[in-house]
Amino acid sequence: MADDPPRTLIDLTKARRFDVRQLLKAIGLVCLLLFVTSGPGIREAGEQMDPGLDRTLVLAVGEPAGALGDVIPLHEVADEATAWLSTDEDLGEGGGFTAAAQENQQGGVPPVTPDAFDPTALGEPARPLPLKKLLVTGDSLAMPLDAELARRLADRDVEVVRDPHIGTGISKDAIGLVDWAKLSTKQVKDEQPDAVVMFIGANEGFPIPGPDGKDVECCGTDWAALYATRVRTMMETYRRDGAARVYWLTVMTPRDGERAKIARAVDAGIFAAAAPYRAQVRVLDMVPIFTPGFRYRASMEVDGEDTIVRESDGIHLNDRGAELAADTVMAAIDRDFAK
Amino acid sequence: MLFPTVEFAIFFPVVLALSWALMPRPTVWKPFVVSVSYLFYASANWKFCFLISAVIVGNQLAANAIHRTDSENRKKWVLRAAVGLDLLVLGTFKYYAFFVTDIDRVLGSVSLSLPLPLLTIALPVGISFFTFQAISYVVDVKRELITPSPVLDLAIYLSFFPHLVAGPIVRAREFLPQLETPRDPKDIPAGAAMWLIAIGLIKKVAIADFLAREVVDPVFAVPGAYSGADVVFATYAYAAQIYCDFSGYTDMAIGLALLMGFVFPNNFDRPYRAASFREFWRRWHITLSRFLRDFLYIPFGGSRHGKVKTVRNLMATMLLGGLWHGAAWTFVIWGGIHGAAQAVEHLLRGKVQLPRWFAWLLTFHIVCAAWVLFRSGDLGVAGDVFAQMVEPGAVTLVTVPAAILVLLVIGLQLIPPKPMDALQLRVQQWSPAALGATLFVVILLVGATIPDQGVPPFIYFQF
Repeated sequence: MADDPPRTLIDLTKARRFDVRQLLKAIGLVCLLLFVTSGPGIREAGEQMDPGLDRTLVLAVGEPAGALGDVIPLHEVADEATAWLSTDEDLGEGGGFTAAAQENQQGGVPPVTPDAFDPTALGEPARPLPLKKLLVTGDSLAMPLDAELARRLADRDVEVVRDPHIGTGISKDAIGLVDWAKLSTKQVKDEQPDAVVMFIGANEGFPIPGPDGKDVECCGTDWAALYATRVRTMMETYRRDGAARVYWLTVMTPRDGERAKIARAVDAGIFAAAAPYRAQVRVLDMVPIFTPGFRYRASMEVDGEDTIVRESDGIHLNDRGAELAADTVMAAIDRDFAK
Repeated sequence: MLFPTVEFAIFFPVVLALSWALMPRPTVWKPFVVSVSYLFYASANWKFCFLISAVIVGNQLAANAIHRTDSENRKKWVLRAAVGLDLLVLGTFKYYAFFVTDIDRVLGSVSLSLPLPLLTIALPVGISFFTFQAISYVVDVKRELITPSPVLDLAIYLSFFPHLVAGPIVRAREFLPQLETPRDPKDIPAGAAMWLIAIGLIKKVAIADFLAREVVDPVFAVPGAYSGADVVFATYAYAAQIYCDFSGYTDMAIGLALLMGFVFPNNFDRPYRAASFREFWRRWHITLSRFLRDFLYIPFGGSRHGKVKTVRNLMATMLLGGLWHGAAWTFVIWGGIHGAAQAVEHLLRGKVQLPRWFAWLLTFHIVCAAWVLFRSGDLGVAGDVFAQMVEPGAVTLVTVPAAILVLLVIGLQLIPPKPMDALQLRVQQWSPAALGATLFVVILLVGATIPDQGVPPFIYFQF
């Protein structure tokens, strides 16, 4: 290893020179090959984007490319050839929100079960359980809450499984992202957690297919009902027939008005969804803590000092905010589980 | 709009073709390049287009004022005002919350307080880079290394999308002369450019993001949950990750600029090969390093006034260099470690001669230890990481792929670069069809490693 002097990144004096026509031929070939082998992927990427110029641009290419891919499925060949490199979890076939919605169509008035009552609210003594494994999941809202909880439980012999899925949403499965019904089933199957902390809602507001198969747009009562049904499906999975406790955090009001509307519908859905499972599901309301009266605020008084608790995006909690959310979660966990 | 995304893959070929088509007519080409650069920037947050426009106009007015006056005193004052305004912009957006919360806390302990409101201010992407380039422009005009350019040229220089968000920090005198005449459409080093883009993609998506996901992020989130061996491995993995993330971005930026006919300076040269901190900073983030040297260290007095002042100048430069990276004490201390290490080297130069292998080992490990501070969200996490390094326990993160990648990234910097250079030269000679097909295969393979959650932003985007 000699002490050689720094060199240029690339020796342009020796580089072969192309003219514009040759350059565009090379770049054009890359584009053409990507167009014919990745069409459905480009379309899907566009569908997952928020409305705006970027989305329009991507869909302008993705839709014809996707249509071509539907006719000539070269993308399947490419996907199969590169599947070994994928780092995504395989959620398996079947199940999911679509299957759950079909099952829900069976009708009849569902009976109220004892699970709808928190025994302590009826004066029964609390029976603290041992907490061995905690799953912290959700979308980007679950970060850095997941790390904060893991830190707090590190010396209590509790295994904390941190599994946030950034960019996902319960209403977002229709555009090819994670189906949380499938994911929650897999999480429970793999981890068998004693408790689940769920914090999700930064990417909601997408249309959800109604009972007649038609998409219902956010954020009226129809959408909230469909969203609540999906949340309830997941709560049912996470509570493991009563063996586990679920701590579902509501979404504090975001700064942006459009997002604030979505957050209200999401939160209403969460409360409605939890009604049959009060014995196991605790809805931890973040709104009164961070945004009382649904009014956004970036800072609040903590220990007598004005403190910034939100990220500059106006959506997420910062580290200090996550600590406050963790206080609420820990208090709820300590009520249900033995220390 | 990140480079390794579908939207950029659609945006860039269209811009490239139009750029070369319009290049012979600068009156059309220049507004076109400014427009597409603004479009690129607006995809992050359109409101900040006004900010960059204000920086362009402000610095252009200052450059013209400096150029027109004969009074040396007036030139100095205009320059100070322009640099002051650039730093005010940087300070407001980047450091406001840091100063208001941390300094207020310190003042609060002595019963004083800052009468400033607490605000969360969104950090405009690339602000640290375009304000530094703006400073370089007015300083170069003041030093008469260049004359003021037309405002459209300055707008291209500051907003040119390949380097807008994370550098390299191109000096005004390196870039602006390239705008004086149209680029030669028969002289495009496309093979070299495509090589850089392919290597950059592999570094960023296949290596940096993989190491972050599988090793680094879990450990730095909850150090206490991992054994000492895992934490030490995560420290080496972060050294590999940040190199691949940042140099991968730079490779792509340089490659994209080359395809458009522009040459950017080199930003990395096998930094983990360094056997001293002085050498490390000649190999790591080279364009920032020379900016700090030319605009801080030398104006402070450099090494011209004895050892004590040299040490002071080194420390001040590196502490400010650390603060440039982010508004947090972890970055300040990171800069302090690099400053202190260079000061010690300076004091011992000529007195102590370590074997090169030992000097390398020492430098590399201090660099890695300092990365712990750079990566940690706060000093508490950094302390936890260091404390956890000696804790026994099961090794869960040292998997074969992760270990191979870390060894590969660091090991390849230690061996002579000739084999890679030879391969690169050979690839450059390929036909356009072969180059296009190869880049397609690389994109396909790299794309397959991207998880559902997409490509995380480059680390240096936050700076």
